[in-house]
Amino acid sequence: MADFNVSTREVGSVSIIDVKGYLDAHTAPDLENEFNKLVSGKQFKVVVNFDNLKYISSAGLGVFMAYVETMRENNGDIKFSNLKDDVYNIFDLLGFPVLYEFYKDENDALAKFKLQD
Amino acid sequence: MKAFVDKLFPKKKFELSILFASLLTISKIAFPTSNFWISGLINGMLIFLLMYFAYLYSLELIKIKKNTPLTIVINIGLLNLMLFVIDSLASAFLDHDPVSFRSDVIQTIIRTFIGLLFIGSSAYIYSSIRELLFLHQKKDPQKFFNGMSALIALTFISNSLTVFNENYNFITNSFFVVSIILISINSLRVAWIAFLSKKDKLTLLGIAVLLLAFFIINLSTLFGNGFISQLIMELSSGFHSVLQLLLLFGTIYTSVIFFTTLFHLPTAEVFDKKAEEVSSFMDLSRLLTQVFDFEELADTITNMTTKVCSSDSAWLVTILNGANQITAVKNIEKKDAAIITNLILDEFDNKIERVIAFENKLVKTQLEGKSKQYNINALAIAPLHVSENISGYLFTVRNQNFGFGEDEIKSVATFADYAAIALENAKLIEESIEKKRLESELDVARTIQYKIIPITPPQLINLKISSLFIPAFEVGGDYFDFFQISEDKLGFVIADVSGKGVPAAFIMARIEGIFESLATILESPAKVLIKANEILSRSLDKKSFVTATYGIINLKTGVLKFARAGHVPLILSLNEGAQKLIPSGIGLGLDYGNTFAENLEEKEIILNDNDIVVLYTDGITESKNQYGDEFGEQRLIEVISESRNEDVNEISKRIMEKISVFSRDNSQHDDITLVIFKWIS
Repeated sequence: MADFNVSTREVGSVSIIDVKGYLDAHTAPDLENEFNKLVSGKQFKVVVNFDNLKYISSAGLGVFMAYVETMRENNGDIKFSNLKDDVYNIFDLLGFPVLYEFYKDENDALAKFKLQD
Repeated sequence: MKAFVDKLFPKKKFELSILFASLLTISKIAFPTSNFWISGLINGMLIFLLMYFAYLYSLELIKIKKNTPLTIVINIGLLNLMLFVIDSLASAFLDHDPVSFRSDVIQTIIRTFIGLLFIGSSAYIYSSIRELLFLHQKKDPQKFFNGMSALIALTFISNSLTVFNENYNFITNSFFVVSIILISINSLRVAWIAFLSKKDKLTLLGIAVLLLAFFIINLSTLFGNGFISQLIMELSSGFHSVLQLLLLFGTIYTSVIFFTTLFHLPTAEVFDKKAEEVSSFMDLSRLLTQVFDFEELADTITNMTTKVCSSDSAWLVTILNGANQITAVKNIEKKDAAIITNLILDEFDNKIERVIAFENKLVKTQLEGKSKQYNINALAIAPLHVSENISGYLFTVRNQNFGFGEDEIKSVATFADYAAIALENAKLIEESIEKKRLESELDVARTIQYKIIPITPPQLINLKISSLFIPAFEVGGDYFDFFQISEDKLGFVIADVSGKGVPAAFIMARIEGIFESLATILESPAKVLIKANEILSRSLDKKSFVTATYGIINLKTGVLKFARAGHVPLILSLNEGAQKLIPSGIGLGLDYGNTFAENLEEKEIILNDNDIVVLYTDGITESKNQYGDEFGEQRLIEVISESRNEDVNEISKRIMEKISVFSRDNSQHDDITLVIFKWIS
């Protein structure tokens, strides 16, 4: 199976999740685990950096939908950054940009969080 | 001879015995004295035949008890006891005067009956001893036994005949003596004793003493000139000497049994243990092929380990994801087993490659603040090897102050090997069950999908429709349908449910119902989708969503109205070329507030002659080639514009050909749906 990697960095009060490789039904649970850790550690401000992501399937998209409510209810959010065009197109077709914030660079997303503080 | 009799009188041995017994009784009543030579001869013949058939019949009875020699011995003892009791009672109550009883019919009948009991019992005892002689013999004992039987028969015959001429007594005597020699030889066959357990051997020793006493008492009664001896002599002198021989046989054989058992006692325990070991291994190999529940097997293994190694406790450790887990325990708490396991494995850097044994090991540990101490006198540990890896350990502990012997350590290793196989089997079976379950789940999902999706598109005059659906192995969640709203209006929907398998199929069934009912109520595609989103909010979980495009075509005017909820673009080919169309709209289930409705754009297009509308799912555009590149929208648009003048089925065929050439060696990961409309005015 295509491989997938997920890791989290802390920048100030914001957690940045780096996703790498193929995010599909088989690898989505890894990302879910990462979100579970953040929620139990009361980290609700999240930027997902897509710089190294090659592919995302509907199961992968579902992970963000599952957690965004919790984050927003706790004064946080999930913001997306550094998407390749083809990955962005998938989000775009689905209408994600209406519901989520997308940034060219993770620093823009971080700045937005700062602004909200 | 026996075969011949079997053939002549199949299964009639009992009836024949009764027949001869009755004839004998009648003959006795008719000719109360045996002095008359003809009556003596007839009686002799009848008794001989009776004994022979009673013997054959008893053999059949005893064959069933072949595996319980103790029961046979006990039965011999009981018969002896009965003979002894009859002997005593008869002497006490019956008339001793030969003159008076000969004229009394009732006395004759009673006496004959007693005689018959002796005949029957002797036949039974003889066949019982025969069965014991033949048990566990390596060489065929037939020859000596038959020789002995023949001589006993000859003794009977010669004795019956010499009644008439005392001068030939020496013949009878020689037969008698040779019979005793053969009896002695036959009596040495006691191999079966070795196979008894120690407990049974002790029992046998006790029974043998009693049995010997009975035999000696009965024998001495018969050799003396007591009442019974006279009674039997009166019945038949031939039988009298045969009975003497039989009782002698019994006495000698019982003595041999007694001494053999006595000498076998010291080694009985070792023999028991070996036998237990063999039967344990047999049980275990049978269990391995029958029981797939690992827990049950693990319990059996620890249980057998304690038995075979005469240890006090045993436990099985399995290694799961690098952690030691106590799977089964026998005579020890799981908690204690875990502590000892961890302490000892730590000592060996968590790896014991080969079976090992210790003596006098002190294991100290801190448990909940209190120090706990285990004093282990003897301990053996065997690893569970699965190919190169170790999948667990088998521990066994003995409290007595002597270590495990080499053979016991070997047994522990063997049990560990069995456990390893069982563990591996159980794992493989679980995996295959899981696979089966998934497959049957997918079958369910596929069945749902096939029932929902139309087999053929509607056949219309102005609108030519081609629809194609190729399911993926995992059931991707594609759905499309057509609704004849009214005579001139056709509704259509194409949708892709997120996720796969049964959950996707379940949602698919749900949206089919939603669209089918909404299609007839609402005339605006946007309104249908907004309402569908509302209804779906009740049944979709947080991480599921559905992309859909819903439209209505006026079959008279060619007006197409449609809206897109997150679905892949439509491709339109008007006049010439082809382009994609992406009116705004977010997927169903992404938002249940106003955002969905506010962002949904409804489009209207008027179709002219030969205009084409193509609907598809991402299974088409995400088909991959060997380098992982996707087929993509651009290639799709190109094929459509190239083949736009063909009929709808041909266009569909060309698209699929292009895709299959593109993704040649790659398997299909998602459902593929392709619906093509062509307006003919």
